[in-house]
Amino acid sequence: MQGTLHTEQDLLKRLAAGDSRAIKSIYTSHYRMISGWIVKHGGGEQDAADICQESVVVLYEKSKSKDFQLTSKISTYLFSVAKNLWYKELQNRRTEILTNEPIEMESSYEDDLKVHREREIHYQQLDDAMEELGSPCNELLKAYYYKQKSMHELVDKFGYTNTDTAKTQKYKCLARLKKLFFERALK
Amino acid sequence: MLQERNIWELAEAYINNELSGDDKAALERRRSTDHSFAAEFQDCIDMLQALKGNAAQKKVRSILKDAHNELETPKAAPKQISNRRHMWRTAAVAASIALITSLTTYWVVQVNNKKIESKYSLLRRDLEKYKRSQNKIIRDIKEQTGSPYSDARYTATGFAITNNGFLATNYHVVEGADSVYIQTQDGEYHKVNVIGGDKTTDLVVLKVEDDNFKFSKYDVPYALARNKKMLGTTVFTLGFPQDEIVYNEGYISAVNGYQGDSTQYRLEIPAGPGQSGAPVVDASGNVIGLITGKQSQSEGITYAVCSEALLSLADSLKGEHKISLPRVNRMGRLSRVRQIERLEQFTCAIKVYKK
Repeated sequence: MQGTLHTEQDLLKRLAAGDSRAIKSIYTSHYRMISGWIVKHGGGEQDAADICQESVVVLYEKSKSKDFQLTSKISTYLFSVAKNLWYKELQNRRTEILTNEPIEMESSYEDDLKVHREREIHYQQLDDAMEELGSPCNELLKAYYYKQKSMHELVDKFGYTNTDTAKTQKYKCLARLKKLFFERALK
Repeated sequence: MLQERNIWELAEAYINNELSGDDKAALERRRSTDHSFAAEFQDCIDMLQALKGNAAQKKVRSILKDAHNELETPKAAPKQISNRRHMWRTAAVAASIALITSLTTYWVVQVNNKKIESKYSLLRRDLEKYKRSQNKIIRDIKEQTGSPYSDARYTATGFAITNNGFLATNYHVVEGADSVYIQTQDGEYHKVNVIGGDKTTDLVVLKVEDDNFKFSKYDVPYALARNKKMLGTTVFTLGFPQDEIVYNEGYISAVNGYQGDSTQYRLEIPAGPGQSGAPVVDASGNVIGLITGKQSQSEGITYAVCSEALLSLADSLKGEHKISLPRVNRMGRLSRVRQIERLEQFTCAIKVYKK
């Protein structure tokens, strides 16, 4: 028992750091259970994969938060989150749930999901703002922040004279992005 | 020292914990006294943290996708075909040069189309001739490489009608095919199945076999036009006359198509083999049709099936293949290059294999 808890803590730490082996191991060891349940409750294979991946993303974001602690086992948490996500999805699709199983929305996880939904909206607004930025800012910021390219690589890729010019350009792009992003967030 | 540094540089160093003790103290002093600076600084931090958080989450999502793909049995992709693509293209180009001189109209499909609609039946002989000449070239390649050439026959173009893998192209593209693959913007091959088609209008709806497939993380950004557009409407198209996607622009030169066919438009736009099924888009980003064939004696006369025909085909699909078509056009206010950039994600090359 002690051993399990230890490994789970360890796994969560690696998840928070974005360690790909930890992420894959969490996903693959829970996929069958979650997808089986979703398929039994009116979902398709695609739904099962979407919900299962989303649940791991919820856990990942939670594991990154400052005062993070998981009071339950990873599997319990993921399963509850997945159920809640799927019930929400069914509500959105206005599909009747043809099952006798009572809907148990667990309140603590409900909070996590609310935070998650807000974050997703936020990120969507950011993606939209990035799209609206246009060339070359869009590519420049993506290369630096999403693909973790170094300033030197940016100089080569975008043909700047030196890293200082690239930096100045990056700051200008950030300022424009901020304006577009905050406009959206206010709407 | 602190004053001279760009506020973004400062914010970035701050969240990365790269500020020296002195700088940090100076920064905190300024934040507590200069309120407008403090507010702006906080905005910068929020912006940067959103960017980094979003980046990290995207990475996690892509790892999860990989994990999911690894769960499923790896599907055989036609790798050997892509290796030989270059030679294949040379053969097709050489053969199509021979063709252009001999035809009046033909399907804009890259290569030896055996079956031709009856209204084009006059052309069949010429196509047979063309086929022979091309097969000869293919045989030559075979002999050179010493291994059997793949049974790929055509390439064409298709475009998404839903983000989750439904797409449209011409009926003649997939007619008699043993298997059909699409190659998406990222270069990946995906097997597709025919869901429904209409030989008369020359339309077919395909679906990517992989249920997890998505063209893009965004929804289809264009809508299918519900009414015929007017004479003179300027249009553009994206297609695959070669391995790389190609842009062309033109206009509607007649509201009816080949021999007065009202399900078609006649366009004045350059089109070449491989562009069958290419979406034809108006200035506001509505898909008004897809390219089907061309007249080659006069350069630039191209025919396109109109989008209403595609709409009625899609509406006729029932059951699990019921499609909800894109109704909202989100490209209206974008510049042309941005429209193209969006459309590109939803346009794919179609590879048809026959024994």
